[in-house]
Parts: sequence; structure tokens; C-alpha cells
Amino acid sequence: MKVRRTALGIATVVVLLAAWELSARLNKTVYVPPVTAIAATFVHEWFSAQFRDQALPSLLRMFAGYAIASTCGVAVGVVIGAYRPLYRLVDPVLQFLRAIPPTAIIPVGILLIGIGDTMKILVIAFGAFWPILVNSVDGARSVPQERLDTARIFGLSRSSTLLTVIFPSALPGVFAGLRTGLSIAFIMIVVSEMIGSTNGLGYYILQAQRTFAIPEMYGGIVLLAILGYCLNAGFVAVEHRILAWHHGQSARTV
Amino acid sequence: MNAGTRVLLDVSGLQKRYDSSGVVAIESITLDVKEREFVSIVGPSGCGKTTLLKTICGLLRPTAGSVTLDGKLVTTPPPEMVLVFQDYARSLFPWLTVAGNVRFPLKKKNLAGAESTRAVGAALAAVGLDRFAKQYPWQLSGGMQQRVAIARAVAFRPEILLLDEPFASVDALTRAELEDLTLRLRDEFGITMLLVTHDIDEAVYLSDRVFVLSPPPSVVVREFAIPLGGARDQEATRSDPRFLSLRNEIHHLIGRPLPAAEAVP
Ligand SMILES: Nc1ncnc2c1ncn2[C@@H]1O[C@H](COP(=O)(O)OP(=O)(O)OP(=O)(O)O)[C@@H](O)[C@H]1O
Ligand SMILES: [Mg+2]
Repeated sequence: MKVRRTALGIATVVVLLAAWELSARLNKTVYVPPVTAIAATFVHEWFSAQFRDQALPSLLRMFAGYAIASTCGVAVGVVIGAYRPLYRLVDPVLQFLRAIPPTAIIPVGILLIGIGDTMKILVIAFGAFWPILVNSVDGARSVPQERLDTARIFGLSRSSTLLTVIFPSALPGVFAGLRTGLSIAFIMIVVSEMIGSTNGLGYYILQAQRTFAIPEMYGGIVLLAILGYCLNAGFVAVEHRILAWHHGQSARTV
Repeated sequence: MNAGTRVLLDVSGLQKRYDSSGVVAIESITLDVKEREFVSIVGPSGCGKTTLLKTICGLLRPTAGSVTLDGKLVTTPPPEMVLVFQDYARSLFPWLTVAGNVRFPLKKKNLAGAESTRAVGAALAAVGLDRFAKQYPWQLSGGMQQRVAIARAVAFRPEILLLDEPFASVDALTRAELEDLTLRLRDEFGITMLLVTHDIDEAVYLSDRVFVLSPPPSVVVREFAIPLGGARDQEATRSDPRFLSLRNEIHHLIGRPLPAAEAVP
């Protein structure tokens, strides 16, 4: 069954690529080069120092920004969600701030910090921060009352309740936020590099388009797709390990 | 093991009004529980039984009246008292194994590693779950999960266990098993039991004394002594004429129609 599904998936991709190839060759337009040309450029461009010069800076910025967003978002979110008066106080502000499309903050970043790496990292962190924060808040708020009461009955201090009861209870929410945050960080890296940069994948794709290096442009997009796919797959693998208890429990109750 | 005569828990004129809703859940409740006694509180649904137990163990602040345990006023949950909730799925920690759950509160007690391992083992053996120590609670049946919650409470070595309808969400057979388990734990560990239930038969079967509550805002309508001796047996006790007449009397008091087949003339 699984083999058949995989085979079917591969077949679909092959047919689509073949259709692309065929129509590109028939139409002979410069803007949509044949798949084979893109593939050749891709191999030539990315199995080289180009990866180190363009892809690596993007990834490093993204991880730096994502790390900042994760640490702050989870820590602040769980505390806010755990402490009801604080939640009531800050929730309206959070709802307002999270509504800002993160890309809109890039001009502010350029104004305040300039167009260096710091700006990009902070802009990525800003974008990823909100979904992580909001989901961590929700996760920490949804701890069953009985579980909190149990912690009090066994004489746990506030801080150990936060760390050993509320935080693990909030993990399913935290991971939902981390996942959305990851995809937003990925978007933010490309956009921020398109606006003010001298390297990185966003810069590379825009530069390719401006210099009519059309197969290179598509190659860059393909690389983004591959990186995005791998990041998500890696994330899901980690989540499945850490949240095995949650998935097991949900599977039982459904 | 028979109940002692020393009053362990003393509840006097306890009233609880929820500030958020203005609901007076319990009007005025006075009762006492003696050392190693098994006391049950029965009352209709929604009469404030959960509120009563949460107030007794210091999770909620009473509006009036007081609770004393061993002569000490209860204001926050004291380590000598543990409350077991009806909803085990919500009170257990699903990210910890069965043994991890039972060990969890012991970290507070500063036991040495070997000592707490022994306590966990003993508690799990007492509830018959020693073979399931490495499983996760959600991999077990409902009755077994409630036993994990009970083992966790017992391992903490409280003097008194408060049980809030602990067997309400398990099937009848499991229920009888768990009832006998609590009786055994009382004898084995010398733990005093205060159980809340809406099942009159269960209350009479388990208890040395039964307090009957009124509909909300609740007060104690009457106190029944249950002179059925220390050893209870699901079949013998439940067919004992004294058992039947007591449960009939309580049914009558609460004003619930008797299940026809079991009614005695
Ligand atoms: N946290 C709360 N805030 C406000 N009112 C509450 C709260 N908890 C319970 N109540 C009210 O107090 C009353 C008694 O509730 P409680 O849960 O103590 O009854 P109960 O006898 O345990 O009910 P059940 O038989 O359903 O278990 C109800 O009217 C309920 O609406
Ligand atoms: Mg209740």
C-alpha cells in the first residue's frame, strides 16, 4: 500500500516535470526555461562555493533569528499563560502586535539598525516571535485545573510548578507555535535579503532576475524549496520524539 | 484495623461562596473524621461535594468556618492530606511513566534515591501495578489509571486521603475492585479515608460513618454510623440485612426512588 502511494507520488512529479519540459521547449520563451536547463544550472551553481557564499549566510541568519524568537517566545509565553492577571493585562497588546505583518517591520529595522546582519536576524526573530509567543501562551493556559491543583496538593513551589507541570503541559501548544514560527522565519529571511543585502538566497534570486539569469533564478527557488522541505522534515522528526506522549495519548482518546 | 478515637480532621461551620459567580456552593458543613476511619459524604449531583473537598484540603479559602487537621488550622494544602480527583486523565502527568508519576511528588520530600525508588515500588505493588511501572498512564485502562493516581497519593504517605468520586468513571467490576483496594490501603498503610460519592451503596459498603448532604446550598442532613464491622466483602456485606436497611434509609432520606430489584420489604 505504502509502496504504491510512493510510486504514485513519484509518477505525478515526473509527469508534471515532463509537461513543463515539453511546453518550455515548444514555446521557447526565455522566462520559463526547460527543466533540464534549470537542473543543469542548479547542479553547477549549488554544488560549488556558491552554497557557502549564498545559502549558508541565509541559513545562519535564519537560525540565529529563530533561536532568539524560540527562546524568548517560549519563556515569555509560558510565563504569561501561567499567570492569569498578567495574561489579562497584556493579551490585548499581544493581539494587536501579532496582527502586524512581520515584513512591514523591515523598514523600521533598516531605519534603526541599518542593513547589516543584525537587522536581518532581528527582523526574522520579530516575525517568528509572535506565533511562538501566542501559541505558548495558549498552551500554558490550557493546563487542566486538576493538574495545577495536584501540584499544589503535593506542595510544589510556584517555580517548580511552572517548570515541571505547566511547561510540559504547554509543549503541544509550544510546538504548534515553533512550527509556524519556522515557516515565518523562512519567509522573513528571503524578504529581508531581497530588500537590503549583498549575499544570501533572497539576494541571489533577485540578482539573478535583474541580470536575466533566468535558470539561476529558478535554481535558487528550487534550492529554497529543498531547504524548506528539509527544515520542516527535521522539525517534525524532533517534535515526534519530544511529543511522543502527546501523540500517543491523542491516538488513544480518538 | 479499627478506627481510632482521636479526631484527625475537624470541619466546623464550613461555608464556601464562589466570588466569581456569587454561588453559595456549601452553606454550612460540620463534620469530623477520626484516625483510620473511613468516612463517606453522599449528596445529590451538584451539591458542592467537590467544592467541599477542595476547601477542606486548602485549595480553596473558606468563606466562613474552619478546617483543622491534627489540631492545626488548614490554610494551604498540608503534606498530611492528599486529594485524588475523579478525572485521572487530567490529574496524571501524561509525559511521565507510571513510575515517574508516582515518584513525582516524592522529589519534594527530599528522599534519597534508593528510598524513593522503594516507596514507588511499594505503592505500585499495593495497587497491583508493579508490572506496569514503565508504561505511560494513557496506555492503561481507566481503572488502572485511577490506581496510578491512588498509588501516587499513597507513596506521598499522607495521613488522610480525600477521594472525590474516584470510581465514577470506571465500569462496575473495576469499581468493586477499586473499592476493595481502598479498604486494603486503609488497613495496610493506616491511611484515614474521606470519600465523596453520589453512590449510596458504595458509601455504606465502604464506610464507618456516612454524612448525607442536602441539595445546594448544602448542609449536613444527617450522620449515619455504619456498624458493619472492619472486614467488608462485596457479596456478604451487600446482602447483610443491616446494610440493606441502612442504604434504604439513606435512599429514602435523599428522596431517590430505589432500584426495584434491590429494594427490601
Ligand atoms: N470554580 C467555580 N466558580 C464558580 N462556581 C463554581 C465553581 N466550581 C463550582 N461552582 C458551583 O458550585 C456548585 C457546586 O459545584 P461542585 O462541583 O462543588 O458540586 P459537586 O457536588 O461536586 O457536583 P458533581 O456531582 O457534578 O461532581 C455548582 O453550582 C457549581 O456551579
Ligand atoms: Mg464533583
